[in-house]
Amino acid sequence: MDRGKSHPGFPGDLFDGNSPFGKPEALKGVRVLEVCSVVLGPAACDYLAEFGAEVIKFEGQKGDQMRFVTPYAWFWKGMSPGLEIENHNKYWMGMHVGNPRARELFLDLVKKADVVVDNLTPGRMARWGLDYRDLKKVNKGIIHLHVSGYGSWGPWTGRTSYDAVAQSMGALAPITGFENRGPIKSGVWIADWLTGLMCANAILSALNYRERTGEGQFIDYLQVENVIRFLDWTWLYAFRTGEDRPRSGNRDLAVCPSDLFDCLDGRVALAAFGEEEFRGLCTAMGRSDLLEKYADPLQRLEDGNARALLGQIAGWTGNRRVEEVEALGDLHGFGASRVLEAKDVYHGEHFRERGAVQGYEDPLYGPMAQPCYPPVMSGTPSRLKWSCRPLGFDNRYVLKKVLGLPDGEITRLEDQGVIFRWNPKVPSQCPPPGWDGKSGVRQA
Amino acid sequence: MEDAKIVGLSTHPEYARWAHRETDPGDIFRKPEALDDMLVLDASHGSFAGLFASSLLAEMGAEVIRVEPPGGDIARKMTPYGMMIGDAGLGYITEGRNKFHITLDIAAEEGKELFRKFARKADVLIHTFKPGTLESLGLGYGPLREENPGLIFTAIHTYGQFGADAVRHSNQPGYDILDQARGVIMSVTGEPDLDPAVPREYKKPLKQGNWMGWYAGGAWAAFGIQMAMFHKRRTGMGQFVDASPPEGLMAISNYVMQYFHMSGKQMPRAGNYDYAVFPYTYVKCKDGFTFISGFSDANWSALCEIMSRPDLLERFPTIRERLTPENQPVIQHEIEQFTEGYTSDEIQEMITVYGKKPDKKGTVVTGRLETPGDVLQREHWSARETFVRRNDPHYGEILIPNSSFKSMSGTPGRVKWACRPIGADNESVYRKHLGLDGHRLKALKEAGIV
Repeated sequence: MDRGKSHPGFPGDLFDGNSPFGKPEALKGVRVLEVCSVVLGPAACDYLAEFGAEVIKFEGQKGDQMRFVTPYAWFWKGMSPGLEIENHNKYWMGMHVGNPRARELFLDLVKKADVVVDNLTPGRMARWGLDYRDLKKVNKGIIHLHVSGYGSWGPWTGRTSYDAVAQSMGALAPITGFENRGPIKSGVWIADWLTGLMCANAILSALNYRERTGEGQFIDYLQVENVIRFLDWTWLYAFRTGEDRPRSGNRDLAVCPSDLFDCLDGRVALAAFGEEEFRGLCTAMGRSDLLEKYADPLQRLEDGNARALLGQIAGWTGNRRVEEVEALGDLHGFGASRVLEAKDVYHGEHFRERGAVQGYEDPLYGPMAQPCYPPVMSGTPSRLKWSCRPLGFDNRYVLKKVLGLPDGEITRLEDQGVIFRWNPKVPSQCPPPGWDGKSGVRQA
Repeated sequence: MEDAKIVGLSTHPEYARWAHRETDPGDIFRKPEALDDMLVLDASHGSFAGLFASSLLAEMGAEVIRVEPPGGDIARKMTPYGMMIGDAGLGYITEGRNKFHITLDIAAEEGKELFRKFARKADVLIHTFKPGTLESLGLGYGPLREENPGLIFTAIHTYGQFGADAVRHSNQPGYDILDQARGVIMSVTGEPDLDPAVPREYKKPLKQGNWMGWYAGGAWAAFGIQMAMFHKRRTGMGQFVDASPPEGLMAISNYVMQYFHMSGKQMPRAGNYDYAVFPYTYVKCKDGFTFISGFSDANWSALCEIMSRPDLLERFPTIRERLTPENQPVIQHEIEQFTEGYTSDEIQEMITVYGKKPDKKGTVVTGRLETPGDVLQREHWSARETFVRRNDPHYGEILIPNSSFKSMSGTPGRVKWACRPIGADNESVYRKHLGLDGHRLKALKEAGIV
């Protein structure tokens, strides 16, 4: 890295070089079996995969539902972008683990695995004879995480949850939206992605503990509860006042000023709560009267004061360009940033330098460029190796490399339908049109 | 607990009973903790990203020393409408859990030395200062790692520690609103751009109602720290973890980046619509809002049948018609014509009855938009002990969310105490870790360092 691209005192050699491939991976040697579909479970495993875990993903005949969920029903090179986003660096098996012969193979893999993740209906794995009790019998150290909307027991266990249900049942959507307007769902499947992240955190805790003791465990993780956990002061406020947190648009009811303001040529997010920051803002505005009047941050938070102050700031930013307000933030030490869109980040030099957006060449799909999971780590950085794959793409490789099955046996399993590959009639299960039959295939 | 409450709506009661025995909240404090061999210094300031990261580690058993300046962390004052309970606001009380609270002036010479001594013993340091702040005090990663190569030095800041924007904006503080604004998700969240019924002034980016930038940023930081810790157990080596919360949001912004790469186009704000799955939306009903879905052809047929609207099925027969920005407002308003005539419970009931019909066409899912007050009353959350209610010695009657890691069979996460006043643990922490006696501590207090 260029030392000029950081602040003085920052050890410039830490993040040098543009490629993470010269450095080790934090989760190398951790084998994860993914019995998941849609977004949440696959995302949890994806986070682990980009930091080096070997994730083997199992799909049924129809394939992961995300093979069919794509913006505007639009496919790219036959692939569903909805499937791509939560599936990187994985090995793809077409095998329904509930099939009795497949179950045996699965348990053989469990013997050599560290983690099993499922996001099926609670009890489904048990019905197949594959709940934690069965897994533990063959591998004492196994960590099994099950995630569902309401968990494996309790009055609402068994209720269906989707991302949008979790956002509503956990009260995230009801507190999101403009004042005097309706609740708004996140523009993304945020309750899936962030629950997946917390699942990965739980798995890491269990792995750290196993490293000390050799003990595995069962983890029941609840999606709706995860949304609840993320809502900061919402609950204590409801408990103490008996009132629901209102929707307040972009205004932060607990930090003032903190809001999104209109400028001449766009919008700027602006915040200045601490004493020096607020002084900086008032100096930039040339308004020492505001500094005197609203010096105490707690007084500033009082509803009437907050509205008055935010109105003054809006009047000021309204006559300025976004870039100008950002530069004043840099100069005077308050927070000011434009709203970034996909194209800004995609083209942003900053994010490429940091490896937060990485380009790579996929043997099936060609040049790719997309986010790689944070945080940026100096010793064990995340990396993108390959993209999503056709159904059953790695059957042979996995069974040969991990279980040592001979080719004849694998062919027999194919003939018996225990393992299967893409159906040529379903394009989003298949390799891209014109695939040469070899690219991306791994030889064991 | 009675059996019916444990088994709930499970299709496999025996499994539910077993899972309950494995993860019974009543057993949490009898079980070991996953990370109780870790020492974490949380020197975050004015940032709930830092506080949430250390909360997660503390819930899993790490010993977290919360280092505040002698006047207290400004985050204590980040509270709705300025509502304080003693020396802490509602947000801070929620994220003070299981932490030892000490004060230290790290700008003073003696303070620096004490900080260095802590860092020598710690596994993890978390800070959220402007890039360069700790470095200018001689407390950057460079000098600290020389004394402790196993240190996991974690810096959380909106712009990150290096890269073009980090240099340009290094004099700016980090904030939730900045994290959300730079995290891409905000650009596609808000009322729908392409719905003619939405007034123009609402067609702009919208943040998530909570501190999503900070919380997501903290969760990513904790994830990095735990991976670094796992690596350290195997190699003895620490590392620098550079956690920029906006990167934690943009990395989960669905397919917006991929779609841009593949098509050269950006996605518009969809509001409660979804251009990849629809209907999958919140609709108005008699008593508020409810979620309703009927995405696949079969499920859409079922929804049309429930609404007695075969004409809609004819007009929008495949996902190609249902996924366009032009048609979604039309479909939405047609569905609302139906749902506005009923309460959310009535809609739930109708859908449940339909779901039991042998000749049903597909599955429709609904779920009411719960207010926080609703959530606090639900039996499921009390059975799962989703909230912790305490009469706290410092803050009185309080209620905060429990650890969401509490249903781990071997090492459940837990809340031992909620929060502590500024400097409440000075005495015991300085004695335990640095061997300072009362006399010495008194001198430091008089010098304004502690």
